[in-house]
Order: sequence, then C-alpha cells, then structure tokens
Amino acid sequence: MRQPIRQEPRGIGKALKRHYPSVLVVFVLFLVWQAAVWVFSIPEYVLPSPITSLGHLFVRQPDAFYNWKLQISTTVSEVLISFAVTAAAGILLAILIAWSQWLRNLIMPFFIFVNSLPLIAIAPIILLWFGYGLFTNILIAFLVSFFPVIINTTTGLGEVDDDLIDLVRYLKASKWQIFLKIRIPNSLPYIFSGLKIASTMCVVGAIVGEFVASDRGLGYIVINSQFTMDTPPIFAALIVVSLLGVALFGFVSLVERIAMPWRQSETLAV
Amino acid sequence: MKAVVLSVKGFIIRFFVRHYTKILSLAAFLLLWQLVITVFGIKQFIIPSPLATFSTLFVPEIAQRYNWLLHIRTTVSEVLISFAVTAASGIFVALLITWSKALRRIITPVLTLLNSLPKIAFAPLFLIWFGYGLVPNVIIAVLIAFFPVVINTATGLSAVEEDLLDLVRYLHASKPQIFLKIRIPNSLPYIFSGLKISTTLCVVGAIVGEFVASASGLGYLLKDAQAMIDSPPMFASLILISIFGLSLFAAISILERLAMPWQDRVKES
Amino acid sequence: MNTRGNKAALVVVVFLLFALTAWAGGESEVQKVNFQLNWKITGDHAPYYVAQEKGWFAEEGLEVNIIIGQGSGYTVQAVDMGKAELGISDAPVPIKGRAQGANVKIVGIVFDKHPNCMFFWKDSGITEPRDIAGRTVAVPAADGHKVMWPAFARLIGVDPDSVDFVNIEPSAKVAALASKSADAVFELYTGKPFMEKAIPPEKLGYFIWADYGFNAYAHSIIARDDVIEENPELVRSFLKAAYRGWDYTLKNPKEAIAILAKYHPINQDDYLANLMVVMDFFKTDRYKNFGIGYIDPDRMETTIDLVRRYQGVDIPFEPEEMYTSEFLPDPMYKYNW
Repeated sequence: MRQPIRQEPRGIGKALKRHYPSVLVVFVLFLVWQAAVWVFSIPEYVLPSPITSLGHLFVRQPDAFYNWKLQISTTVSEVLISFAVTAAAGILLAILIAWSQWLRNLIMPFFIFVNSLPLIAIAPIILLWFGYGLFTNILIAFLVSFFPVIINTTTGLGEVDDDLIDLVRYLKASKWQIFLKIRIPNSLPYIFSGLKIASTMCVVGAIVGEFVASDRGLGYIVINSQFTMDTPPIFAALIVVSLLGVALFGFVSLVERIAMPWRQSETLAV
Repeated sequence: MKAVVLSVKGFIIRFFVRHYTKILSLAAFLLLWQLVITVFGIKQFIIPSPLATFSTLFVPEIAQRYNWLLHIRTTVSEVLISFAVTAASGIFVALLITWSKALRRIITPVLTLLNSLPKIAFAPLFLIWFGYGLVPNVIIAVLIAFFPVVINTATGLSAVEEDLLDLVRYLHASKPQIFLKIRIPNSLPYIFSGLKISTTLCVVGAIVGEFVASASGLGYLLKDAQAMIDSPPMFASLILISIFGLSLFAAISILERLAMPWQDRVKES
Repeated sequence: MNTRGNKAALVVVVFLLFALTAWAGGESEVQKVNFQLNWKITGDHAPYYVAQEKGWFAEEGLEVNIIIGQGSGYTVQAVDMGKAELGISDAPVPIKGRAQGANVKIVGIVFDKHPNCMFFWKDSGITEPRDIAGRTVAVPAADGHKVMWPAFARLIGVDPDSVDFVNIEPSAKVAALASKSADAVFELYTGKPFMEKAIPPEKLGYFIWADYGFNAYAHSIIARDDVIEENPELVRSFLKAAYRGWDYTLKNPKEAIAILAKYHPINQDDYLANLMVVMDFFKTDRYKNFGIGYIDPDRMETTIDLVRRYQGVDIPFEPEEMYTSEFLPDPMYKYNW
C-alpha cells in the first residue's frame, strides 16, 4: 500500500498555520527568560528582564534618548546590503574557483586564512585603511559571512554524479554546458544551505562591525551602554538583532521554497 | 633500499608538483605583505614586516619572551575539543530535527535566534556563569561553530530525491531504514561541507572566548600585544591562528576524501 | 560690432566674475580637523561636544569631526597615519609609539591626577595594595593598567609577576569582580559608580594608584609632528576651544552631559555620575595654579622613564621632544575648585 507523502499546506493562511509553533517557541523563550529573572532574582546589571528591555525599546526613557528608528534602520540596511553582496560575490567566486582547479588551489588557502582571523582583532587595521563608514561595516560583515557560501557552493558544484558527467561528456557536452545545465542546478540545495548559514553570520558581522567601526546602529547601542552597565537597552538591541536574523533566515527559506518547489515537503525551513 | 629512496624522493617531488600552486600562493602572500609595507611606507608598529613577525617565533632571544608553547597549547586544545563537540552535537541535533518535524519547528527558530547574536556581547554573563578557562572558551567556540553543521547536515538529510523516497516507501522501507541507508549516506558531502565551515569558526570562537576572559592562549597574547602596540608578536599570533584554521580545514578535507573516495577526483583540492 | 557679439561678451564677463567670486569665497577659512577619541563615549568626552555645541570650534575657524576611538594604541596609529590631526591617548602609549617611529607629540593633558585604581571586595582580605601579591587580577588588556602595572608594582613593593592576570572584555569588568572570578579588578576610578551597581559601596574596596605614589601621566591630547610644524595655529586653536570646553564642563557638568546626550544615545544619570568622579581628578593644585591641561616637565620625565624601564623600549629622544606646552591656551583656564 503506497503511503501518501504528507503535503505541506500552501497559501498564506496555511503558511501561518505552519509557522505558529515557531512563534510560540519564541514567546515561550521570553516567558522562560522573564521567569528566570524573577525566580533567581537576577540583578539588572547581569540580565534585565525582557519587560524592562522591551520597555526601553517602546517607551520613551526620561534621561536617555536612544533614537531606535535610526539605529534599527542603520543596522537593517547594513545587513541587507552586505547579505546581497555576500550572496552575489560568494556564489560568483565559488563558480570561478570550481571552474578552475588552479585558481582554487591559489585562492582557497587565502580564503581560509582570512576566515580564521578573529575579525574583532583585525577590525582596527581595516579601520585604519578604509576609515569609518557604511563601506567598512559592509566589508566586515562580508568577511565574516562569505566563507559558508563559497564552501557550500563549491561542494555543490562538484557533487554531481560521475556517471552523468561521463554520459554528457560522451555526448560531447562542453565544460560550460555541463556547468550551466547540470552543476549549477544540482548545487541549488547547497547554495541555499550556505545562504541560510550566511544570513545569521551577516547579522553578527554587521553588529561586530558596529562595535568597532560605527557611531550608530544597534551594535553601537550595545557597546556604548556597556560602559555604564546600562543593560536594558543592550538587551533591547539584542532582541531586535536576533529577530532580524530570524527574518533574514526565513526570507532565504522562502526564496528556497520558490526556487525549488519540488522539494516542498522536505526542505529545512523555519 | 633503492626503491625506498626512490619512492621517498618521488613522493617529495610529487608533493611539490601537486601542491605547487599552494606553495606559490604562500610565497605570493609573503611577497605581497612585504611589498605593501615597502611601497606604502607603513611603519613597523602598524604592520610589521614578515621578517620581524617570524623573528618573534623563531629567534630564541625574542621568542622566549612570549612563552609561545603555553599559549599555543591552550588555544589548540580549545579548538580541538570544541571542534569535536561541535561535530558530534551538530550532527546529532540535525538528526533530531530531520527525524521529527515537531522538533524542527521548535529547535530551528531558537537556533537561528541564538546564532544571530554576537557572543562577545554576552561577555559579562559568560564570566559570571562559567568563569574563565578551558570550559567557557569551548562553550563559546561551540556556540559560534555549531549552527553551520546543523543547517548543512539537516539539509543533506532532507535533500533526498523524491522519486527515491517514493520507491523505497513503496517497498515498505521503515523510517529508520530510510535514515540509515539513504539519508545519512546522501548527506555526507553536506556534513563535510558544514564541518569545513566550522573549522574556521571553531578557531575564531576559541579566540573570541579568550577575548572574553582568559589567562593564556593566543588570543590572550594577541590582546596584550595589541594594547602595548607591540605589533610583531600580535601578527605572529594572527599567523599562528590562521595556520590552525588552515590545518584543521586540510585535515577535514583529507578525511572527506577518505570517506567519499568515489568523488570526481578532478574537482577535489 | 554687432549687438549679439556684445551681449555674448557681456555674458562671458558676468560669468567670469561669478566664477571668480565663487572661487575666492570658496576658499573658506574653516579648517577641517579630525579628532580621534581614545575609546567609546565616556563622561570625559563631554567637553569636546560642549565646544562643538557652543560654536567655540567654529569661532576658532575649525570644523571638528570627533571620531569614536578604539583604544590609546589605535589613536596613536590613526594620528600618525594621518587619519586624524589630534587625538586622545594614554601618555605611555604615544611615548612608546614615538620610540617605535610614530611622529606624535603630547600637546596637552587631560587627567591631572592619575585615575588608575584597583577594586576589590573588602572581605577578601586585601587591606593594603601589597596584599595583591599572589592574587588573581582581571583587567582588560587594552587598559593602561596592565601596561603600567610593573611600575606600580615596584612602588608598592610587589613582584609584578606574582599576580595572575586574566584578560577580560572591557564590558566584563564589573562582572569579573561581582562574580568573584578574580580577587581584584584594575579599572579607572571613574568607573566606580558602575562598580557600585553590582557591589554595595560599603563592601567595595579600592586603592587609587596615585594615592600610593604613582605619578605618571594618563590621558593626554596628542598631535602629529608635521601638523605642529606646518599648521601650529590649528593646534593652538583646537586646544583653546577644547580647554574652554573643559572649563565650562567643570563648572556646568549637568549641562555638559545634556549636550553630550544630544550627540550620542547615553543614559544621562549614569554619565553624570561618571563625570563627577572625573572632575575629582582635575582637582589638583597644578590645575588650580597653572590651569587645565598644564604639562609638568618633571612628571613627563617620570612617565617617559617608566616606559623606558618597564616597557623594554629604548627612548632615542630627549624628553623635550615628546611634548610641547606652546599650544596650551594663553591665558590658561584655571580650575578654582
């Protein structure tokens, strides 16, 4: 007896129905956080309660003006631009080095080298070179998040059935044709997996970039408030940051679902 | 005897021939470094020359000031332990969330949330909860390196051809059987890809842990050197850190080749 | 000549006149200055924003861009590389920098009394600075404390290596002591209000290094050699406005913090507490008699000597090359506390 494969519900309403457990989970996390602060009497300078933190986000504070609109829009634009750059450049570079083995051997060690360096230690040097500004922040976020895209994409481009390659080569397919018609479509799951990983790393990279090289943004709020142990705005900023990561990850999952509808029931998505 | 000598010689020659581009890139890198300093007239205390940097490692009178062995040992143990933990737990969690859709709906958003947060922002919390030393550094490194392994492995476990699944289900294959015989082998390239990404993240994570709080390690040394604008040992630490990243990555690549020898050899580095 | 030709000529002449005036007018007298701070915003940065807000920089013909900092080391690098004309840096750092080839000089002082301090729990058994021997101390590596520790250690009669150091993130200073991960924390005394958020004042012990004979200079304003040589007026004008800002801030701390809050997202109560403590380090006889920013030659020599002895660097220059008082405001702003 053939077992039917469970079809995922389609459409917006059904999508909501599918995602409500995730929203619930986030909500539960908040509750656990609040409970922990109450039950263990955690002092505010260690961990503020979510209510206090969100209060700093939504309620105008008497003796501090955080200008959340500006900070959030700054960080969001950095994340979006750097993610776009990472995705485009990462995939392009991966295609290049998958195409040429020689190039790969030349450049790959360099990529690994760059990626092993703790960016927060090198950021001052980058800053001395490029100065403050949006470009530097995007550069830092890019350096943090490009590696997964490249690794995954090159693996995906290489991961084709040998027999298939042999067959089309016998049929006199050119390297270029093989690339375009077989390797690239085959690597889509790898590429999307890489992009999902890169999404959260882009967010982290943008924030770390702001720690070092900015006078605005959510990361800046965090680093500035650390001086006075003013933890509620720190955690307010962090809440927004984590939601930003989830949003970006979800967006990539959505694009994945559209690009590979045949994997509807099996893709890993939020 | 002659055969042995010949084979050793042959091995060395083949090694150089095979890896000549990598050696080339290394030489190019050192050349570029020195060139940048000379051409732009960069002062030693901003970017030191390769010679000055390597002197702090290899010239005994200078090297002994920094107690390299202690710091290297600390960082290397942090990296290796955290990598082992990352690999094991990452693959395990991926198995969990592929097995159970319910778990996936719960765990994935939590992981994504946590992974979007820069761990260094939690420095005070880490210090209070875990103090300083090997354990907190490993924890921080695992937290940083864990996500790619989970995502990639889970993608690999899920990305099986529908037709194949239909077929084996038709043949009454059970869920565990499908997992063991189809999903897991299918996911091997994904797993290795995820592990490769995690190698550099484990290294970075160990260093971030040392920045948060540490009494030894290359990150510790790096910070000290940076504070006293002592650039040669700072850059030497950075070089060592990168070498670990490269070595770990290479080790995983070799493992990958051993585990999946059927791959198109031309495509592998 | 036809009228069309005349009209054309007129147009050209008028155009040339406009261009001339634009060029002459465009040659403005405002000089752009990049001022590199030593760290993220703290209370002691308020004066520069006061000067900005009150238009005192503009009065001197300066357009100042205040840049957030990455540590004293970065300030020296940034100033030396031309990213900034002036900056704030902890005195030992530019001294060491100059010994390594950085072309920077100290042109004015910020803190007169040295603000380095060690904090500890009163019940930990530490009753005098010497008791720190054999203990664990948490300190952010980039702070001036670790750099100057060997000097202070010799002063209080402690072997510098007898202390176990734990490098920590600056944000974890309070957590390190509060959680007793370390026996003591080296931090500026200006951070005391924040220590007290975690540790009740009656339980918080502290020793200010200056009270035990530590006599070096701390935060100072530095400038690059070629700026000093080629554009001395810029340095002079900047310092005049900057110290005017300090003068005003010391007299009106609350307003100064309110002005700072216009430029950066800060909690005003916390920063005011910080600033009040900062002011304590300006309440010295030197600043009362000679004025804010005054550079004492003897103290400067002491500082240079400390760097030579404890940083393992050769100082291939005379003390007089390390600093210059010629750009300090005339008359100096005296602090009548």
